[in-house]
Amino acid sequence: STSKDADGKVITVFHDKENFNVKHQLQNKWTLWFTKPPSGKGENWNDLLKRVIDFDSVEEFWGIYNNIVPVSELAQKSDYHLFKDGVRPEWEDPQNKHGGKWAYQYKNKGNVDIDTLWLHIMLAAVGETLEDEEDGEIMGVVVNVRKGFYRIGVWTRTIGKHIPNRGDGDVSGGKGRSPAKGQEVLESIGRRFKEILKLPPTETVEFSGHTDSAHSGSSRAKSKFTV
Amino acid sequence: SISTKPVEPPQPSAALQSLKTSRFLTIKEASDPSIYAGSALASPNPATNAAVNKKGQSFKYDAAFLLQFQNVFTEQPSTEFQSQVKNLIGDADGNRSASR
Repeated sequence: STSKDADGKVITVFHDKENFNVKHQLQNKWTLWFTKPPSGKGENWNDLLKRVIDFDSVEEFWGIYNNIVPVSELAQKSDYHLFKDGVRPEWEDPQNKHGGKWAYQYKNKGNVDIDTLWLHIMLAAVGETLEDEEDGEIMGVVVNVRKGFYRIGVWTRTIGKHIPNRGDGDVSGGKGRSPAKGQEVLESIGRRFKEILKLPPTETVEFSGHTDSAHSGSSRAKSKFTV
Repeated sequence: SISTKPVEPPQPSAALQSLKTSRFLTIKEASDPSIYAGSALASPNPATNAAVNKKGQSFKYDAAFLLQFQNVFTEQPSTEFQSQVKNLIGDADGNRSASR
C-alpha cells in the first residue's frame, strides 16, 4: 500500500473496492437513530430512542445501508431517523422546536416498496438535493412503521417564520427572510419530497409545525401547507 | 500441533481499513469525472451528478450517482456493526428486539 501513496495516485472504491485511498465526503455529518418498539414494561421514549451510528462519507453510508435491517422487516412501532449530527430526532430538541415536517402516510402497506422509498429519501438527504444550498431548512428524515401504515417525513428547521437567535440575514429563521419566501422554500422542499416519493399529482403531502402537533396531542395537527 | 494463541478480536477487512484511512476527495476532485479513469465507473454520465457539477461549493450528489456505489461498498462500517444491529434491531428471522 506504500506504492499507491508514493506517487499520490487517486484510487477510488470503483478502481479497487478493497484497497482505495480516497472517499466521497458528505456535506454534513449524519446520525442514524432507531426507535425500538416498546416492550410493554413502561419504558419512556428516551429509553427507546437509540443512536445507531454516525457517518460522513458516501462509502460509509452504503456500508451501513447494506448491513442493516430493511424497513420492510422492522417490527411495528419501530422508526428509523436520519438526522444531521448534533440534532436529536425529537421536536423538543432546541434545533427542532421551532420547525415542522412534510409527511406522507402509506395506508396500504402491502402495496408499497417502502425500502426503495426510504432509500431514496435518505439519498436526497445525504446528497443534499432536498433543498438549495442557501435554504438551510433540512434537519433530517424519518420513517415510522405502524400497524396500519408506513409514514415518511422530512423535518425542517422552521415553519417559514423567523425564530430566535437566527439573526437578520436571509437564512432559515432569519429576520431577513420574508414569510412569503420562507413559505416558498418549504413548498419547494415539499415538491421535491413528493417527486422523490413518486406520488401522482392527485395525492397531496402535508406540512405541519411540530408544536401544533404537540399541543393538539396528536400528530394529525391541522396542516399549514400542502403541495 | 495445537495452537495456543489466544483468540484475537476480529480484524477489520481490507475494505474497512481503506474506509478508515482514505482521505476525502476535494469538491473539485469529486466533480471531476477523470478521477474515475480506468475504474468500473470509467465514463460516468455527467448528468448523474448534475448537482455537484452545477455548484462546486458544496458536496451535492444526485441519487443516480450515489446508487452506483450500492454494490461497490458492501462491507459493514465497523467490525461490530452487524452484532450491534442484531442486538438493537433484531435480524431477518423475525427475531425482533421487541419479542425479547
